[in-house]
Formats: sequence, C-alpha cells, structure tokens
Amino acid sequence: MAEADQQQPPIDLSKLFFQSTTTRRRIIASYWIVVILAIPIWWRITSIDRLSLPESKVSALDTRDLRLPLRVGLQSNVPGISSNSIETQLAHRLKRDAESHCVFFESAPVDLNRQSTPGTYDVVIEPGAPNLLLDGRRLSVRSQGETEEQVLDALTNLVLPSSDGMEALRIVKYSPRFRIAFSLLNEDATSGRSILSWDVEAAIKRYLAPALEKLSILHNFTIESQVQYHAPLAFRPHEIQIGEQTAHSLTQEDLTVFVNSAEWTLSSSVSNDPVIHFVLFVPSADDSPLYILDHNGTPSSADAFILPQWGGIVVSNNARPHLKVADLEHTFVTFHNQLLSLLGVPSLPANVDYDYSLPFTDWQLDALVRLRTMQNVENSKETLRSIVALVHQIENMPVGQDVKGDVQGVLDALDLVFAESSSSLMFALRHSSDALTRASRAFFNPGMLALLYFPAEHKYAVYTPLFASVAAPLVATLAREVAAWRKTRREQA
Amino acid sequence: MFSALIYSFLFLSAHVFSIHAQEFFQEQLTLRPHRDGTVLGHFAFTTLLKSATPREPETIRIEDTSQHYTLFPLALGQVLREYAITELHLSLNAGKWSYDRWGYPEEDGVGTGAELWAWMAEGPGASVDERWRGLRSNLAGLFCASLGSMDEQRTTSPSLTFLPEGDLPGPSTPYQLRHGTLPSENVCTENLTPFLKLLPCKSLSGIASLLNPHRLFDADWHGMGIHVRYVENAGVEVRLTFQGVFDPVRYSTDGKRDWSLHSIFDRTIQKTCPVARHSKIRLISTTDAVDVSPAPNTFNAAFSVYDVNTVSKPLDISMQWSNESHFEYPLSLDSPPPTHISVRRTLKGTEQSRGQLAIVIENHQDKQIKASYLETMPWLLQFHLNSIQVKWNSAPRDDLMSIVSYIPPVPHSRPTLLQSVLTLPPNGTMDLTIDVTKPFLRYTEHPPDAQRGWDLPPAVFRPLIIANDSNLRRLPRIYTPILLVDLATPDFSMPYNVIIMSCTLIALIFGSVFNLLTRKFVLTKIPNEPPQ
Repeated sequence: MAEADQQQPPIDLSKLFFQSTTTRRRIIASYWIVVILAIPIWWRITSIDRLSLPESKVSALDTRDLRLPLRVGLQSNVPGISSNSIETQLAHRLKRDAESHCVFFESAPVDLNRQSTPGTYDVVIEPGAPNLLLDGRRLSVRSQGETEEQVLDALTNLVLPSSDGMEALRIVKYSPRFRIAFSLLNEDATSGRSILSWDVEAAIKRYLAPALEKLSILHNFTIESQVQYHAPLAFRPHEIQIGEQTAHSLTQEDLTVFVNSAEWTLSSSVSNDPVIHFVLFVPSADDSPLYILDHNGTPSSADAFILPQWGGIVVSNNARPHLKVADLEHTFVTFHNQLLSLLGVPSLPANVDYDYSLPFTDWQLDALVRLRTMQNVENSKETLRSIVALVHQIENMPVGQDVKGDVQGVLDALDLVFAESSSSLMFALRHSSDALTRASRAFFNPGMLALLYFPAEHKYAVYTPLFASVAAPLVATLAREVAAWRKTRREQA
Repeated sequence: MFSALIYSFLFLSAHVFSIHAQEFFQEQLTLRPHRDGTVLGHFAFTTLLKSATPREPETIRIEDTSQHYTLFPLALGQVLREYAITELHLSLNAGKWSYDRWGYPEEDGVGTGAELWAWMAEGPGASVDERWRGLRSNLAGLFCASLGSMDEQRTTSPSLTFLPEGDLPGPSTPYQLRHGTLPSENVCTENLTPFLKLLPCKSLSGIASLLNPHRLFDADWHGMGIHVRYVENAGVEVRLTFQGVFDPVRYSTDGKRDWSLHSIFDRTIQKTCPVARHSKIRLISTTDAVDVSPAPNTFNAAFSVYDVNTVSKPLDISMQWSNESHFEYPLSLDSPPPTHISVRRTLKGTEQSRGQLAIVIENHQDKQIKASYLETMPWLLQFHLNSIQVKWNSAPRDDLMSIVSYIPPVPHSRPTLLQSVLTLPPNGTMDLTIDVTKPFLRYTEHPPDAQRGWDLPPAVFRPLIIANDSNLRRLPRIYTPILLVDLATPDFSMPYNVIIMSCTLIALIFGSVFNLLTRKFVLTKIPNEPPQ
C-alpha cells in the first residue's frame, strides 16, 4: 500500500479549475455584486411612494400677493370739491392699508354709458340736496357744501367695507356649493300650539330668490325644507313675568345650546356640501310665549338670532295650523337678512340710498367678491404650506400622483388668479375657488392617511431570520479571502 | 274633557288635510295572538307623496329640483333622489321567524340580518352599480348598519323572487334589480333611533309612542323595515314597519297569557299624532273565548279595529282568557299547518373542504304547488350542480326541479345565484341535496372572530298556488333560517412561522451551496497508522 502511494504523484489541488484562487474570488465577487445590485431594487420596492412636491413654487407663493384693481372715474361738478384731490387721497388711503386688503387704485375716465363691469365705478358729484345714491356701479353724490372728507369716507366704506372680528367669525367658510335647509320645528305639535305646514316654496321664491340669484355668481345653492312635529329643546326655558302674563325666556347662554342636534334631524348625509340652516321654531303651549332676553336680562323685541357659521333661527309665538306666504313675510325677511350676514355681504354706510327693490347693491357684491377671492387665495396658500410641512414632518406618509397633481393644479389656478386679477374680477374668483377646492382635496386625500402597516421593528423582525443567516457566510468568506490575499501579498513582498 | 280634546284634534286634522293634500301619513298597528301564547305586533307607518315620481336617471348629472317635504322623511327622500331609486326595501331583523308556530308574517322580509333590495332604472348618468354602491353606504350611514360591507361579494339580481311591489314608471325604460343580504348583521337600538327619527311624530305621540326600545329588543323575534315604492296614479309611498313577536307569558307573574298594550310595551297611547290621517289598531280575532277591552270601534269575524284618533285616551287594549287559570303550551303544532309549505335547510358534513346542503320541503296542501327557490350564496360555499338530487317521498324525481338561471361564483368577488322552480305534488315531502365545497380563504379575508364561522344568507322560497279563478297567485316569500359554515381557519400566528421557516430553509440552502462553491480543499496527509 505504501509503495503504491509513493508511486502515484499526489494531485495538485490548486490546479483544479474550481480550486483556483481566481475562480473562488470570482464566485465570491459575483455573490457580492448580486447583493449590491439588489439593494437599490429592494429599496425601491419596499419604500413608500413619495413623489416630490413642487416645494420651491409653494414657497415662492409667499412673495406673490393678490392685487385687485379698483378703477374709479371721478367727476366733480361742485366748485370746492376737486376730483383730483379725492383721487390722490383715495389712492393714498388704499395704499396705507394695503396689508389688510388687496385693492389698489386706478384712475379711469368717467363714462356714464359704459357697460357695468365689476371693479369699475363712476362717481359723479353734483350740487343739490345732500344725498348719496347708488345706481348700479355708479355713485351720485349731491352735495351742498359737503367736504371732500365726507365723500372720501363714503367712498372708502363702499369699496372697502370695514369689518370687525365678530363678523369674520360669523361668516361661513367659502364653498362653491351650499345646501340651504329650511326647517319648521314644532317643539310639541300635540300640545295644541303648532304650525303644521307652511308655503315654504312660494315664500322662498318671493323673499329669497332675488338674493340667491344675485349670489349665484359666488355659490351654487341647493334648497331643501322639512317640517318636524316633535323637536324638543334640550333645556327648559326660564319662566318670567311680564305684567300679569307668564312668559318664558331664553337667556344669551341658552341661545348657544339652543340647537338640540341629538333630537332634531337637521343634517343631511347625502352630500358633503356645507349646510346653512334656517329654523322657524314654534314653542309648545307649555313654553309659549317665548322671548329672547338681552344682555341686561330684559325681554327684547328681537325674535331671531344667528348661530355663527351655522344658520339662523326665528322663534314664532304666532302659532296657526298653516302659514301662507303672506304670514311668512316677517320670518323670511329675517331669514334673508341672516343669509346675507352669514354669507358675508357687507353692510352699506348709513347715509347711502339705493333702489330698495334690489336685495343689495352691486358695490356690496363686488366688495364681497374681492373679499372671497382674497380669502380663497390666502387659504389655498395656507393649505399648500400645510401639505408641504406635513409631508416633511411625517416621513412615512405616501404622496401619490393625485396629491401631486392637485398641488400642481392649485399652483396653476393661483397663477391664473394672479394673471387674471387685473382684467376680470369674476375670473379671479372662479380660479381662486378652483384653487381652494383642489387644495382641500389634496389635503384630505385618503391616500395620504395610509401610513405604514408594519412599524419598523416589525419589519426588522421579519427580515432578520433571512438576512442575518445569509449575510453571515457571505461576510465570513469575504473576510477570510481578504485576509488570505493580504497574506500572499506580504509573502510575495 | 277628553272628548273636547278629541274634537279639537279632529277639527285640526281635517283642517290640515284640506289645505295640504300633497302628503298623507297614516299609521296602523296589527296585533295577532298566536296559539303558543305569543303576540305579533306589526307597526306600519305609511307616508304617501302624492303625484310624485321617482327621479329619472337621465337627470342624475344635472341639478335636482329643490326638495320640500312636510311629512315625508327628508333624509330618506334625499337618498332616493340622489341615486334615482324607484323601489327600495331594507329589512333589519334579529331572531329566527318560526313559520310553523306563527304562520306568515305581516311583512314578507323576515330573513335574519340585513336585507336590501332596490329596483333602479338604467340611465346614462351613472351606472346602476355605482348608484347601488352609493345607496348602500348612504343607508348604512342613515341607519347605523354595516350595509357598506354588502359589497359585490354579496350582491345579486334575483328578479324571479323579488318582483317589484309597486309600479315601474315608463313602459320602455329598462329596470335592474340589486339584492344583497348580510346575515350576520345585529339589529339593536342604534338602528331603531334613526328609524324613529324618520317618523313625523317620532315616538312621542300616536301609535309610535308604543315603540319602547327596552321591550322591542326583548321580543322573541323583532325586525324593522323601510319600504319605498312607486304606485302609478298615486305617488311615491314610503312604509316604515316594525314587527315583533312578544311573549306575554314570560312577562306575567301568574303564568297566564293575558296581555295588554301596557304589559307588552310598558306604555299606553296618551296622545294622537296630529298629522296622522288614519291611526288604527287592528286586533286579529282568535278562536278562543276572550274578553277584549275597551270595546272596539268596529269589528267583524276576522278582526276588530280601534281608531286611535277618536277613541278615549289613554288607550290600553287588553285581551283576557278569563276561563283559563294557567296557560298550557300546546304540545303539538297547528294542524293544518299555518303555511302552505314548510322548509328546513341544513348543511351536512364535518369536513372542512366538502359538505352537502340538504333542503326538506313539505307541501301541506291537497293540491300541487309550484315554488320558486332562490339561493344567493357567497362564494364561501360552492355548489356542484351535477350533484343535485331531488327525491319526492324518498323516490328520485329529478323532473320536479327546473333551474331557471345559474350564475356560478367567482372566488373572492361574485356570489352564486341559483334560481329554480320546484313542482310540489300534493301532500308530501321533497328532499333536495346539493354537494358543496368550502374553499380556502386568503389570510386577510378572515373576519376578526374567524373561529366563529361564516353566516350564510337564507334561501328564499316563493310558493305559487292556483287560486279559485285559476290564476296563479303569489304567496308571501318564505325565508329559511340562516346557516353557519365552518371554513378552514388558519392559525393566525402562521405568517410569522412561515416567514421563519422559509427563511431558515433559504439560509440553509444558500449556506451549503455557497460553502461548496467557495470551499478551499486541501490535501492532508494521514499518517500511516501501525496496523494492529
């Protein structure tokens, strides 16, 4: 046996092709190349789809402000009142408050025959009995020694109605569509005092249709109405004595909790449009007559109140089984005023007259359109900023194509607003409303809510059993091979 | 004093309806004592919107007209207009209706759980399926029921059994039926509250004031329904119903079956609903000797009627079996049985992959009955149609069943629809068996309480008898009880185990292959050991 071994020369293992150092290193290298090439693919298929938002454009919006022109043609036929001087002072006043509004003054020639366009006004000052009369987009001032100051004040109030903070809280948020819901609520129809039906359709047509028609350039309205026969209050009104008579009263605190949303089915679920409610409330025999107390605790003559951003309520102490259109006049005139107030139609300065057959004047409408356009632009900008901030803040939040498309759409619409603002007020409004709709759609996109189903720890728990056991031999072999290679280099050197 | 009040109400009602003749509301309660001591109470509140027509689907994309309602529920009216629904039936029931003990119900739809079906006109604006989806989710929101999960996996179109109850306007307009069931839906007070809000007088006056949730949900069986239909020359009618089978023996202290409105509902009628045109309580007569108080306004052999608007209040109708000291439960079922046919359905087989559906149908009549038989089975149970066996009194009679239509299931999406007509010869029993397979579900398709099994919808039968004038007369639908199927349920820690095991296997294979490929073989000399 020993002889045989010595006679046959031993096999040189390093000569075998699969034992050569080069082949082995190639094998190891190819494994590592596959791993390294797979990493980006793995990264891509496991990461969340986060498209990049046009952030630079969003931040560039901060420097762009809306500028709506106010073209006023002034003509003074009264000696002592100079149209030029009013022009310069008006321009100065508008410039002074440029922060809070977005209007700038442009002088225009007076043309009494031109077509009435929003944003262009004529002011004619003539001698006569003191009077300010609005006719379309024209203001006729009859003056008898009125100073420039008074004309200027009236004009400023017309184009820039002053608004206090309370008003801003009362106005409903802009929406291109509104549902207006009229409800006749009987506290308890079985008590004997109740209104069982009303001619609501005819009353809306007579008392509200002109205003709704005029406001239709801002909003689309859907109208609905219902009657309820058992609409209890959540509290008992206080008993008071008025002379010999026992009455019931609502304090100012009661008004804030008046709407009993648990028992009154007022809201409609069929669409997402915001609803403005108008309620005619008929107290039951036990609770009538029902008066509203003012801040001093004395019964006031008012029988109606507004709930900010919600709607208006009228309390009716005249119960009869059916209300005809004529019976509804008082109620619907109140609803009309509440509607204008809720939608933000500014009030006129006290001393200004207009054609009272109109629901309100074109000057008020233009001021409202300017206000809404400005708010929409501001809100869209604000929403865009929030989206960008939110996406930055939450790293696991997916950003899909539809969100990106909507953000881009908002930017395009805002570009159009800025471009059109000087030529057409109505275009600017339409595009600003479009921008706002898209912005809120992007913000409330349900796709952005789908955060990671598995938390990071969970992911590692799943990956470790595979990756750790595969990586161990790979790394060990690599280390061994590197060590061997360095050893041979040292030996060669 | 009471009569003065009543006159004032009468005057009021007459006055209201002379000026406002567009919407009518009437309410009716039917009380029916059963032989087993229970009492069926059936409330029906009907509002008719006079000369109204359902919305045409052509107009669905354009702005709808304003909706002004006084008695018609606005929330429901909006849903009907939004999705252009011509006819709608929703029923939410809890319990098992026992046809053998209680006979036919006053409302057909007594299948356990939720059932919704609607007839819709086809139109270019929006597809019928889109509108069906919108209808489901809106009604789900309105009635706090999980109707939203009544998705494509549960929607069928069984037009043979669910014919429209009203009229379909437009002679040439094509109409489509959508039907869905959700047998596992629980019905409770969160569904009743929105239901009551749709009533003009809520539950505060009139007959509706008897709807006391504490007692209603304590009933042996209870169910509510919303039925909307269009009647030509009349208008759109919405009928809100509530049925319950109450057990006065259970409430009584002396073991008697005497009952009164107060003992059943724990309430009496104090006030009339001022806008109800008719408000009636109908008491179905029994063959037993009973004392009824107060005296009804009108009565005949079949029933007595109380007019709630005129009768003195508070109204508490009571029925007494005065010559009965103690109620004895009947030991046998009624003979003849109260229904024309009776049906039992069972799922046989203990395996988790296969089983057999067995249906036993008895014809109690002396004449031949035809009955339509409908299965709307989710794909969780798949039929083998070739294995259908029909036996009449234990003799094979395959000719008695003719299949009208069969739509096979599509796993994970579409349910089975099997519509057939059975011919039942006089007095006998039919045994019908079908082999079924139970498929495997995906891991994510299991419900949270996976071990409980799946509720299967009831089968629906609709007997047709030949009436005296030799016309076919359709009888009420008969629902079988629901079934529970036990599907193969995985161990839910399984995915992690699978991950660990496959990772280990991959790592092992990878390790050995990699090792073989990169191993450096070295020759070592084994020193010669001295031979021993």
